[in-house]
Amino acid sequence: MTSNPALVESPTIEIDDVSKWFGQKVAVSNVTCSFGPGVTGLLGPNGAGKTTMLRMLTGLIRPSQGAIRVLGVWPRTSPSVYANVGLVPEEAAVYPTMTAREYVRYAATLSGVSDTGAAANRAIDTVDLDDAADRKLAGFSKGMRQRAKVAAALVGDPQILLLDEPLNGTDPVQRLHLIDLFRRLGDEGRTLVVSSHILDEIERMSDRVIAIVDGRLAAAGDVTAIRSAMSDIPYRVRIETDRSRVLAAKLLEESLVHGVSVDDGTLHVETDDLAALGGRVPAVAHEVDARITMFQPEDASLESVFRYLVRKR
Amino acid sequence: MRSLRAITGATVRQVLGLRRAIIFGLAALAPALVFLLTAQALVDEAALDRFLGMVVGLYFPLLVPIVALIISASALGDERRDGTLSFLVLRPIPRSVISGSKFLGAVLVASGLNALGGAAIGVAYGVETGSWDVVVPLVVGGIVASIVYASLFVPLGFFTDRAVLIGLAFVFIFENGVVSALSGLSSLSPWRVGMSAFSGLVPDSVAAKLTDIGIANLSGLGSTLSTTVIITALSIAATTLVLRRRDLA
Repeated sequence: MTSNPALVESPTIEIDDVSKWFGQKVAVSNVTCSFGPGVTGLLGPNGAGKTTMLRMLTGLIRPSQGAIRVLGVWPRTSPSVYANVGLVPEEAAVYPTMTAREYVRYAATLSGVSDTGAAANRAIDTVDLDDAADRKLAGFSKGMRQRAKVAAALVGDPQILLLDEPLNGTDPVQRLHLIDLFRRLGDEGRTLVVSSHILDEIERMSDRVIAIVDGRLAAAGDVTAIRSAMSDIPYRVRIETDRSRVLAAKLLEESLVHGVSVDDGTLHVETDDLAALGGRVPAVAHEVDARITMFQPEDASLESVFRYLVRKR
Repeated sequence: MRSLRAITGATVRQVLGLRRAIIFGLAALAPALVFLLTAQALVDEAALDRFLGMVVGLYFPLLVPIVALIISASALGDERRDGTLSFLVLRPIPRSVISGSKFLGAVLVASGLNALGGAAIGVAYGVETGSWDVVVPLVVGGIVASIVYASLFVPLGFFTDRAVLIGLAFVFIFENGVVSALSGLSSLSPWRVGMSAFSGLVPDSVAAKLTDIGIANLSGLGSTLSTTVIITALSIAATTLVLRRRDLA
């Protein structure tokens, strides 16, 4: 058992002190970590360096410093390794004039699959795209394109699957389906690296997280450990009411409330105990005769959570 | 071989959408139509002058370059612009197969369209004069020029979104301006390389007429074809090297 939570015991992907800079801009800085079988979430706010990291793992871009090994080799110089690697990029990456079936079949041909038709049908079925498989990709919604890309990545039956924000644009049903699929593929012993800026998504599909902020490794380990590392920062909740100032004053008397600010009639409340606050606010509002029209955790503050993790290192 | 066929086929579809096929198809037929409309009632010598006017003034210096550079710049340029390059390069196939098949796809489409244009003018001339021996030289010349343009603009399309603009500047400023003034540079002009192939295959009477109107000092057919082969090999090798060495995203 390795003591460094950023490293795994049987790695299929190894990243050793990797940095990448584009001119003056440092996109990834001195990252050392590894990935093994199962689903690992690559978590970080937009612009953190996740996409750069995934592109380096595939060999699309070269690290400015350090070394990357995928199944023991650097993919750029050993393209045969691509038979075992699939990438679902965040950008479009589909041919609009092809149907989904043609697209997946094209991927199968280039991946060296022998029975391309059967493999394409299997992959399309896996992502639940059968009904739309013979429609042109130009007419696909973003979510459907994501599923087509996942099918194209899966069609060669790769051991490693790298997915850059794969749930972007998918509806809730598609999202659940894809999360189940990724979990299943991970359980089969494949290495899945799934990038996302949404903690909840990562939490639902992966047991292990690598968090990246400003190109640096901010935290690594299982999801519970990351959660607990975040536990000492207060939650922020947004409350909309018809009597904002009165309610703000009353809430400040509550011990579980650390601070309240009023912004254009909207309250921003800080607390350590989100559940307790949720239970207490209606009662306090009733006392001051205020009507609550919205109670919403400000999970957009995730970026500040990431920054907090960086400062904590 | 399966990958080469697949990428070439996909490239043909990619660079020749329905709209392009219609526009370029009509453009390819335009010189022939102009010739048919203007050459009626001309006697043999005058018809030959009019025919060569179309070939030297419209087909080679305008139609062939514009079709070839737009098609060629799209072959790799569209992959980069649409983000599909990663789809291609993250496959267990050599980069030389990718660059070779992108080149082949571009050449098939550009050559096809330009061969159609060349054949149409040749047939129109044949209809007017009963002389059909210029059809093959025109088709060969159009194909040779298309190959040389593809050698330049398939790689350039990878480097910049402005490959077509650069191409148009190359054709109108360099080829049709500078090279026209300095005939010693004619081997650097792809459409003139194509015209060399054409002039090397036409009957002596037509070749003499070409010399009369100032299209002289063109290299022979053998030299033209070997130049084309060398440029093509260099282009594919350079594109392969770029795909191997450069960051691709």
